[in-house]
Amino acid sequence: MESFDTWKLVSLSPHPMLVLVALSVALLFGVGLACWGVRNEVSPRRKWLLWTLRVLAGICALFFLVEPGLRRLQVARVKNRVAVLVDRSASMSFPTEPRGIARNEAVARSLESLGPQMEALKDRYAFETYGFDPELSATSVEGLRAQPPRSSRSDLFAALRAIKAGESGGTRKLAGVILFSDGADNADLVSGLTGRPKQALEQLGVPVTTVAVGKGGLTDLSIDAVRVDDFAFVRNSITAEVELHGRGFNDQAVQVVLKREGQIVASKVANFSSNDETQTVKFTFTPDQTGRFVYTVSVPVYPEEVVAENNTRSFALKVIRDRVRVLLVAGRPTWDERFLRGVLRADANVELISFYILRNGSDESGVPPGNEARELSLIPFPREEIFQTKIDTFDVILVLNFGHEDQGVSLAAFRPDIERYVHNGGAFAYLGGDRSFGDAQSSINPFDQVLPVVTAGLASQEPFQAKLTQAGLTHPITALGSGATSSEAAWAAFPAIPGMNLTRPKEGSTVLLTHPTAMVDGQPAPLLTIAELGRGRTMAIATDATWYWAFPSHSSGANTRNYERFWSNAIRWLVRDPDLTTLSVTADPSSVEPGKPVGVVVVARMPDYQPAPGAKVSVDLVDADDGHVVAQQTGDAAADGTIRLEFPPPEAGAYKVVGRATKDEKPLGESTDAVAVRAVGPELADARVNGALLEEIAKATGGKFFDAPQFSLADVPLREPPLVEIGRSKDQPLWDRWYWLTMLVVVVGLEWAVRRRFGYV
Amino acid sequence: MFSRRSFLAAAAAASVPAWGFGDSSRFIPAVVKHGGRWDVRSSGLRRLAWELQRRTSVEVLLEARPMSLDSPRLFEHPFLYLSSDGDFPPFTQVEVENLRRYLTFGGFLFADANDGSDGAGFDAAVRRELARVLPQSPLTVVPSTHVIFKSFFLIDSAPGRFLNKPNLEACLVNKRAAVVYSQNDVMGALNRDESGTWEFEPAPGGARQREYATRLAINLAMYALCLDYKDDAVHLPVIMKRRR
Repeated sequence: MESFDTWKLVSLSPHPMLVLVALSVALLFGVGLACWGVRNEVSPRRKWLLWTLRVLAGICALFFLVEPGLRRLQVARVKNRVAVLVDRSASMSFPTEPRGIARNEAVARSLESLGPQMEALKDRYAFETYGFDPELSATSVEGLRAQPPRSSRSDLFAALRAIKAGESGGTRKLAGVILFSDGADNADLVSGLTGRPKQALEQLGVPVTTVAVGKGGLTDLSIDAVRVDDFAFVRNSITAEVELHGRGFNDQAVQVVLKREGQIVASKVANFSSNDETQTVKFTFTPDQTGRFVYTVSVPVYPEEVVAENNTRSFALKVIRDRVRVLLVAGRPTWDERFLRGVLRADANVELISFYILRNGSDESGVPPGNEARELSLIPFPREEIFQTKIDTFDVILVLNFGHEDQGVSLAAFRPDIERYVHNGGAFAYLGGDRSFGDAQSSINPFDQVLPVVTAGLASQEPFQAKLTQAGLTHPITALGSGATSSEAAWAAFPAIPGMNLTRPKEGSTVLLTHPTAMVDGQPAPLLTIAELGRGRTMAIATDATWYWAFPSHSSGANTRNYERFWSNAIRWLVRDPDLTTLSVTADPSSVEPGKPVGVVVVARMPDYQPAPGAKVSVDLVDADDGHVVAQQTGDAAADGTIRLEFPPPEAGAYKVVGRATKDEKPLGESTDAVAVRAVGPELADARVNGALLEEIAKATGGKFFDAPQFSLADVPLREPPLVEIGRSKDQPLWDRWYWLTMLVVVVGLEWAVRRRFGYV
Repeated sequence: MFSRRSFLAAAAAASVPAWGFGDSSRFIPAVVKHGGRWDVRSSGLRRLAWELQRRTSVEVLLEARPMSLDSPRLFEHPFLYLSSDGDFPPFTQVEVENLRRYLTFGGFLFADANDGSDGAGFDAAVRRELARVLPQSPLTVVPSTHVIFKSFFLIDSAPGRFLNKPNLEACLVNKRAAVVYSQNDVMGALNRDESGTWEFEPAPGGARQREYATRLAINLAMYALCLDYKDDAVHLPVIMKRRR
């Protein structure tokens, strides 16, 4: 048996509605005319009787005209969806208030209390609960409690767009959204609801009711941001702006410290004058070394703080040089100094600072006493300034034939400064001559500790052709051609130089050029020797006649630039130009979010700078603060000499990645980079409750904002669910009953009889 | 100021065998041998070397080296002196090309008109030859702000035996004064005769002018050795202050 759950009165007339209306008007007009015809009836009773009968007759006629019927229907009400979105980001684990329950628990309790109200509305709305992290996933009160919020991102906009997108194609319309969050968005809405997201939410078409979970009054210090360039120029100041947010620190001073891999760079004090204040602390510092370094900004952790991890923030800074700053010190003007100066001055990548001893203490200037300052252009040799105060500002120190015992120019007192400079990463090169090494006639050599050679006697004064050693064949300093053979030919083409100091290489140093016949300890006497010392590099050339490789080499008409190339190579090697390394190690990326792996890209090259396929690569992840090796990864380089290694997520902190490679058991070198693993991501860095953002979302979408998770669903604006006719109906005519026809006949007949009786027919 | 004894002592000191390697690091002027009277200022050049040894830290050899312009050994002597007391025959094409290469790759030439000529004699000859050697770099007046005037002594004129022309002229190669030319016979002011007495009396300034000519010659040698060292930023404030 068919069941109908509603009915409605309908016209069963086959005539179109327009015809029915026209006939009805005509009928009414006829009734009106009939009434008008008896207007002069003297007896009111008769007149009213006639009018009543005529109207009744008209109604009866209209009834048959319209043909009324009863339509019985089977209908259903389609329930709308109400999406309950719960923020599952990690900040929801913060307490709602000092010593209060967690924000996540507050949401769970609110949903529990709203349960009966949802049950009451279940015939109209289907309440669906989703957590977003930021991907949507169905959850429940139990689910909220079972799984603590852990997401590293709060992306409210993405969650709202996703829930709206899920509506398309479904039969159930979205009646509204109830959003539980602390508002600590760190994605599109991090700067508030503006621009494109605002327009998108205004056009969402669904009222979003937002519920702020959590209150103010938390005590927390957080380093919200550190604004600093990705790279800096060595010895040029750079400013890092630290955005420090203090909550509950009214009238308190907080010390902010900037460290570079464990070493304090600077510290400042931030004074808070209210309980919710952001201070910008500026650190201006001057990196003194090239390379990539991890800097860490930190503030103390106070016992009452909600989050301790957001009190530090690390960043990686790449320090590069704009130009190589070279200090050239010459014991006296010589042709070697002149041509070296010419090369360095012509190099756009070099900033040259030079000091030459133009006059010895015993020289007579010929200027009358008292007039020297006015008639001579000489200035005092500022030894303290350049070898103590500013020594660290130089990338390379070149000393030419300097062996003065004259106390006015002696550098003996600066021996510790020079040694410290080299050990700390400075580059030092020394060129010989008649005042150097064994020919110096000096008991003190201020450079003896940093030089890669020691004196081995008096100079050899026989002209000779410099000869490349096995190491020199492939070393970047002596690489004057595209390969070993080409370099060897280039060195052979240089003119003979007229003599050299006799030296002996120190242990650990590398000889690149030698005298072809002169021997020291049974080995060819070294002409060009290099060494690594601490973090620095040193080079010794045992002659003051390298200018023969410059000027006299042009005597034959050859337009060679090998002298310039040699010095360019030497400077680049001394300053560790990255392009002159056979192994490069790069952290990828240089700043790693918590919980993410540390990637390292290693490029291994052969000594001739061709790719080293199959090179055995090993990379250590080293704690930059204490030098402890945290982890190691190894692998074989691909055909292009490249390999990417990955370390499991380490603890937060500053790390060095130290790479080494070998090819056929021969070392290809070592290279280092730095990586900062952040203590907290942007999610945990911000403990505040951003009610203003939630209110803006509600306003933009036509929803309502609640500043606490205690509210009634009756106050939540929701779109009404529509009724939908399922399609089954049955019409039941009402007009075709015999009594309706009888009544029409009786009324019309009675009217006719009355009119006749009163004399109107 | 100094005695003959000190002169002899210094000369003896400068004549001892060099510690350097083949004297390569020492200042040794080379003199251009040409078809004219090229060697009339040998004594002046020796005096210049001696003054350099006495007044500065530069190590020298006293005797200048005569050098043909077509000699490959020319390139072992970056300081070259060209002079005559009159006209001289044109250089050969080989000499022109070798000198051009010498000047282009870093050599320094000091041309000195021993005859104080202007438009004739050495002046005409040297201008003719320099136009052949460096056609793209004509002689131009050296401004008083040029580093030559402060490379050791602070001077503001360019006297020699004469004071015919107040300025020096120079041919610039890549902003470097590769050739410096004086019409005032600078070395004439330093020249001595065989008896050891000054050969010429500088006019009009006499002994004072000789001193300034000596200082100019030293500055030229210093410029050849140090280039624009005294234009470095570290020197400028001091020099500017002293020049006021």
